[in-house]
Amino acid sequence: MKKFWSRFLGNPRVYLGLIWLGLLLLVAISANVLAPTDPFAIVGKPMAPPGGEFWLGTDSLGRNVLAGLIHGSRATILIAVLATLFAVAFGTFIGAVAGYYGGLIDNVLMRFTEFFQTIPSFLFAIVLIAILSPSALNLVVAIATVSWPPIARVVRGEVLTVKSREFVQAAVVAGQGDAAILLKQVLPNTLSPLIVTGSLLIATAILVESALSFLGLGAPNLMSWGFMIGAGRSFMREAWWLVTVPGIAILLTVLAINLVGEGLNDALNPRLADL
Amino acid sequence: MNRRIVLALALATTALVSLPAIAQKSGGTLVQITQPEPPNLAPYISTSAPIGQVTAKVFDGLLEYGFDLKPKPSLAESFEVAPDGKAVTFKLRKDVKFHDGKPFTSEDVQFTIMEVLKKNHPRGIATFRDVTAVETPDAHTAIFRLAIPAPYILKALSSYESPMLPKHVYGQGDIKTHANANTPIGSGPFKFGEWRRGEFVRLDKNPSYWRAGLPYLDRIVVRFIADASTRTAVLEKGEAHVAGLGAVPYNDAKKLALRPNIEVSTKGTEMISPIVELLFNTKQAPFDNPKVRQAISYAVDRKFAIENVWFGFGKPAMGIISSNFQPSGLFAPGIDFTVADRIERANKLLDEAGFPRKADGTRFEFTHDITPYGEEWQRFGETVQQNLAQIGVKATLRYEDLPKWLKRTYTDYDFAITSNFLFNLADPVLGVHRGVHSDRIRPGTVFVNGSRWSSPETDALMDKAAVETNDATRGKLYAEFVQRVSEASPVAYVLEVQFPTVINKQFKNVIDTPLGIYGNFATVHRE
Repeated sequence: MKKFWSRFLGNPRVYLGLIWLGLLLLVAISANVLAPTDPFAIVGKPMAPPGGEFWLGTDSLGRNVLAGLIHGSRATILIAVLATLFAVAFGTFIGAVAGYYGGLIDNVLMRFTEFFQTIPSFLFAIVLIAILSPSALNLVVAIATVSWPPIARVVRGEVLTVKSREFVQAAVVAGQGDAAILLKQVLPNTLSPLIVTGSLLIATAILVESALSFLGLGAPNLMSWGFMIGAGRSFMREAWWLVTVPGIAILLTVLAINLVGEGLNDALNPRLADL
Repeated sequence: MNRRIVLALALATTALVSLPAIAQKSGGTLVQITQPEPPNLAPYISTSAPIGQVTAKVFDGLLEYGFDLKPKPSLAESFEVAPDGKAVTFKLRKDVKFHDGKPFTSEDVQFTIMEVLKKNHPRGIATFRDVTAVETPDAHTAIFRLAIPAPYILKALSSYESPMLPKHVYGQGDIKTHANANTPIGSGPFKFGEWRRGEFVRLDKNPSYWRAGLPYLDRIVVRFIADASTRTAVLEKGEAHVAGLGAVPYNDAKKLALRPNIEVSTKGTEMISPIVELLFNTKQAPFDNPKVRQAISYAVDRKFAIENVWFGFGKPAMGIISSNFQPSGLFAPGIDFTVADRIERANKLLDEAGFPRKADGTRFEFTHDITPYGEEWQRFGETVQQNLAQIGVKATLRYEDLPKWLKRTYTDYDFAITSNFLFNLADPVLGVHRGVHSDRIRPGTVFVNGSRWSSPETDALMDKAAVETNDATRGKLYAEFVQRVSEASPVAYVLEVQFPTVINKQFKNVIDTPLGIYGNFATVHRE
């Protein structure tokens, strides 16, 4: 374990990623202190450029872009993390059961997974939102629904290899039940690839949420970065800051998550990292 | 002395054509942008907006209209309304030929009205409801027989609203799946040339058009470009010349207006008269209380919405009837909800209605449905949300797709307030009555009385105005009607949208009818 931390934190790119994510977390937690007014409130002259009364300018209705960015970080992170948690939980369950029992169960569950995998995930998310109607909860549901298949695949593969190890066979001989073997023996040994895939999934979830909001399918009462870009895209030529500011925020966040995710991967799979 | 109302329009035709004394230059191709691509070119069974922008150039109507909404001759040289209002006699031109060379006769009128429009056209079913027969005593006379007087029919005979079809073509086979649905044959200034799906429709000059010397243009190409910013760029560069009715975003239209080669006109919606409104569910608390409804109407900042959501292309609505009916004498303003102290008034009304502010400053909460017509409607919803926060009313926004929203609003009535977009059309009977009349409370029928409010007094006023042939008397009836509706405020009438039409300045006379881009473009010419 000590080796993991030294590998993980010894990587300067991980540092950069962690600093940005830490900052973001801090902003998200203290959003109501940093920007006490409703981010939807009309506070000034519409389309005021950055640098005046409002540091990052105002949008087409005179809403403060900085307040939007601060409150948007909260919505964006919350939706992405929740969707990822759901996807990981469901994907792990399906993958573990399929890998552990094999045979017909494996066949059925994997065909079920493939059914979801063959539908282009973003189009699928659009369809889901159109059916469920846009809201924060439905965004989480839609993103989780399109994100779990890769997790299930990864977990199944890992379970298949771990299952044949001696310590698992020993547990079987010792008379442990299936649930106990899965939870106590098998799954803990599949964690490292799961952590890496899961962390990268957060980045994908942020992008999907932003893209949906950009198309006007985001939660209508929630200020998110994607919403800001969607509302600002028509004014790209006369008000560049409306898309640029939240766009950079998304870019940096996704980049940071990827850096940290890769750092995790290098630290957890040292042999791969040395290649 | 008989009291027949005779409206002889005969010689006006020649006067109309020869108005500009100098001969206009013929030739040129006009590129029009229409968005989205029409599903078909069958305006006799569908009122889908893009269809008419193409087909109004291919077909002719019995009449055309001036900006005062007064009829002008077209296929009918003149018309005459019987003293009891129950018959209208149209004298038809004798020199009109369809694009396939066959002459236009009263048989075609009879077929179009009775067999096609009255049975299939979404609005025609209502417009021609009281037409019991179209008689054809000779080839160039058509007499409409009416069960009761229906003066509004005379406002619904343009090439856009009621295109005259050749019976020998459209009379063959099933009209709903007709072979010519995508290759229209009419008598208009332009003939259908080609439709390349996803790209364009080409219309060619009709050399044997009955208006001598017209049209001036050789060709109209109607292009379909899916991306909004590409449409704007193409107009900016002069590769396309005309676009309207939502083809150009409002903020882009405002920008294009600054360019030297482009003119942006807000004329040409006088027979459409779209009104942005907030529809209340008057059968449900708290909006069953007229004081609450008035308070909401006061709280909405109409000027802000016009400036920042519709980018200046609108004006505050003064009541249920659009100010576009001012020239015809049918307009009257209701309560002025734009007064300076509107917020105080709204607060006072809510206090009186029994909704005092609670400790947290709010009075009550509700869900505000947004019309799913695109971005500006979302911005409008957000604006209204902020406006209402000022008077302590908390709105949560809901945005669904069109079928769901229509069902919620017009079938299930499962809403509190929804924004809405209703057109007054060519006459209040056609576009206004449907919104508040008790006989238009019809679950499942869309764009009718969704607030479910009505009163015997306003019903009676509308019924009288529908059969009244004298405009001055109708105006008086409507003035009282507008006042009563605005006191009850079943709907907050927010603003009248003035759709911008973007026009390249090389082309003149593009918007010369109250139907704007739905005009036939016969007199458009290039400089």
